[in-house]
Amino acid sequence: MGLSDALAKYAVDQAHVLLVELPGHWLTRVAAEQHIRERGWLPVSTPANADVLAVCGTSGPEMTAVVARLWDQMPGPRARVEIDAPHLAAAFDRAEAELLDVGGQQDDSRSRAAVPDGEPHRDEHREVHHGGHHRGGHGGDGKGGDTDQVGRAQHAGMDHHEQGGQGGNDDHGGMDHSGMGHGGHGAREDQDGMERHEHDRQGGMSHGAMGHGGMGHGAMGHGGMGHGGMDHGAMGHGGMDMAPAGIPLAQGGEDRDGLEMDVLHLRMGPVLPHWPAGLVLRSSLQGDLIVDAEVTLVDARLPCDQGDVSYPDVHHRAARRCDNAAGLLALAGWDDAASRARRLRDRLLTDRDARKAAEGLARLHRRIKRAWLLRWSLRGVGLLTEADLARLGLPGHLRGDTCDRLLCMIERATADIAGPDGGSSGASDPVSIVKVCDLVRGLDIATARLVVASLDLDPLPAASEVAHA
Amino acid sequence: MPDTVTTVPAGWALAAAAILGLLATFAAVLDGVFTARAAGAGPSGLTRPFGELARLMRQRRRTTVAADTLLWRIGSSGLLFMALMIVTVVPLGEWTLFDLDVGVIWFNAMDVLAWAFVWLTGWGANSVHSLVGGYRFLAHGLAYELPLMFALVAPAVAASSLNVGTVASAQADLWFVVWMPVAFLVYCTGVVAIAVWGPFTPALGSDIAGGVTAELSGADRLVFQGGRYALLAAGAAFAVPMFLGGGAGPVLPGWAWVLVKTVALLAVFVWLRRRLPAFRPDLFMEVGWLVLLPAVLVQDLLVAVVAAWRA
Amino acid sequence: MYSGAAAMALVASVAVAGLYGLHRLVALAPDALTVLPFQSGWRPEEHALSRYHVRWYLATLLFLAFDVEMLFMYPWAVVAAELGATAIVEMFLFLGAVFVAVLWAWREGALRWV
Repeated sequence: MGLSDALAKYAVDQAHVLLVELPGHWLTRVAAEQHIRERGWLPVSTPANADVLAVCGTSGPEMTAVVARLWDQMPGPRARVEIDAPHLAAAFDRAEAELLDVGGQQDDSRSRAAVPDGEPHRDEHREVHHGGHHRGGHGGDGKGGDTDQVGRAQHAGMDHHEQGGQGGNDDHGGMDHSGMGHGGHGAREDQDGMERHEHDRQGGMSHGAMGHGGMGHGAMGHGGMGHGGMDHGAMGHGGMDMAPAGIPLAQGGEDRDGLEMDVLHLRMGPVLPHWPAGLVLRSSLQGDLIVDAEVTLVDARLPCDQGDVSYPDVHHRAARRCDNAAGLLALAGWDDAASRARRLRDRLLTDRDARKAAEGLARLHRRIKRAWLLRWSLRGVGLLTEADLARLGLPGHLRGDTCDRLLCMIERATADIAGPDGGSSGASDPVSIVKVCDLVRGLDIATARLVVASLDLDPLPAASEVAHA
Repeated sequence: MPDTVTTVPAGWALAAAAILGLLATFAAVLDGVFTARAAGAGPSGLTRPFGELARLMRQRRRTTVAADTLLWRIGSSGLLFMALMIVTVVPLGEWTLFDLDVGVIWFNAMDVLAWAFVWLTGWGANSVHSLVGGYRFLAHGLAYELPLMFALVAPAVAASSLNVGTVASAQADLWFVVWMPVAFLVYCTGVVAIAVWGPFTPALGSDIAGGVTAELSGADRLVFQGGRYALLAAGAAFAVPMFLGGGAGPVLPGWAWVLVKTVALLAVFVWLRRRLPAFRPDLFMEVGWLVLLPAVLVQDLLVAVVAAWRA
Repeated sequence: MYSGAAAMALVASVAVAGLYGLHRLVALAPDALTVLPFQSGWRPEEHALSRYHVRWYLATLLFLAFDVEMLFMYPWAVVAAELGATAIVEMFLFLGAVFVAVLWAWREGALRWV
């Protein structure tokens, strides 16, 4: 196996790493990014392109399922490590050794079934097998209740004018998944359950109706139990073949011009590059336009409000601003400036020379200000006036469009390292994540991502912290 | 500078493909070096494409649940095919593989295939991220393609021919890039867009987790990414006879000048990616139709007037 | 004359096929693994293959009009210099007329969709 070993050696020199950041572990993620860059490895955004799955922090039950699914999607050779800051190098060394172990990788590859794992049963089996976790601790009821809170908060100010006419479809009253005996299907059923809870309380509102047809099918796929009692007639589909591989087909819904168009549901987060850790945005898409959105926190019991997350010191606060700026620049497609912001962030974390850091920040600020192409592409994106800020209860530093907010991030970082009197970011109120869905509704994915990145969020608290609060 | 080009035996296709492969490798190495320099840490990036080659050759291929596999694979391997077909009509000094009367249209016909191939790669995966990426590319296509076509017309009008060799030899006195700079810039924009490169990367954007490439692994990813570099190289090579005087130049033989000019333009393309933010398709649509299109039409008018006046 | 292009098509096919063949030999496993598409770690709620809402469809119609126009432009390019003023005036009057349509479509918002 000389060739395989040689190939493995070359390949591992630049392994690609999918970093999964858990809430409260952004410093670990930053340290990991730094470390893998020094190794000559690369961070990537999808499991398809990843060799190493690096989980920063310890995951709760929901996150464990997510990570297991990502692990299943990695093509192999693959290695998986849980990392935390002091033991980074050792963990990545272990991953490297695993990737170099040709025999072990071949065994792993052989043990994986090359058949579709689309069927929910199969999927669940595999996850339990790989992840070794149990969904039992999920607490379906508690979750449903939590989500209701979010539901209420986020739907209060929602404008559903386009969808008003479809109220009749939303007849979920007679359906009860939890009573159908799918206890073994864990998270998926829980999610369905929680979504339905919301819709029950929203009465005639139907943005869910499009997607819920699909859920009905999913349920049928579990063994055809009790679908006699469910009325799917209004949605115009009825056969099992409408759900190849256990996944239903997209259903139509009216777009803003009253045309019937298919609606896709896409969850953004928790594992997505340049996305706030722990945030999940379930969006209903028509084309790439977000017609509706709901926001939750992964593994969180109280998703509504977080306290101020304490940073070890002001340099960390400034570094966070740079990290956010780097994410926004990367989403805007300007890789060079993103790298620069990331280097600045790393310098702020390692080298405490405030003067040098201030110089770097000033340079970046100048560079962004001079970049007319960037300003043109961010101009007017997610414009928030004083009135909008007051209405949504957002802090003052978010005034203006995405470009203004980008510059403001750098200014806040500069103020932070200038000293306690200049410090600005500590004084402002934290952005409540529930606002995110109000901001992205009606945008396309690209601008929605830019807007979310421009909110300059502080790290969301770790699930455990919230639970104890 | 010969007036006509000689058609070489078909066996030289292998050599042409090898040259394109080397140019694509050069582009990949250069991009690796630039990326490593911007990151400011880690190895030089010189060997990055080779490591990536080893990695992808070792990596298992994947398919997704209920994927449209045939169309998906046609799409991902199509870019490489396009690039190779484009270089058949590019004369290397005095030699060409395919001395077509309508070589300019041949290029046009090949470059339009990108629409199908990139979109199919996005469609086939049965993944929302890929699908959104595929349609983003089409939206870009609507904006860059017409200006690109009109940019190709300008040298053809000036040379009164659609034969690439004739266009090249018509520049003996003055390179077309000098008196039709707008057409040249628009052409370069088009090439970069076809290769889903530089500012035209929203189809592969990190906001949609890699978009069209989100589900590609192993050999499938290799041919797609290799195809992008090859397209960039083929586009740079085609610009040489169209705008940069073909093999014209002092001291060195014609073929060497073609390669030197290609490498120089290719390096600019690779470097450009780092300097510019991405053009969002919705914003670029207006730029394409209301800035690039009229600009290149005016350019065509000027070229036609000058050509008629000279005749 | 076409042998060069045919040979290149062959080279391209052999190159791609060879790459896939080599991959089969050296990859961890020769067959493809079937997985779920990536959705931030969640199960997809429906198949992505669907009627995608392209909100720029008006621009496609505009494109079509201009694209057909290109068919005239290429033969014209060869003879424009020879025929002189008449050919140029006719072609650019035509192009001008089509471009007025672009301006009208722009005013109607066909190039904006978000």
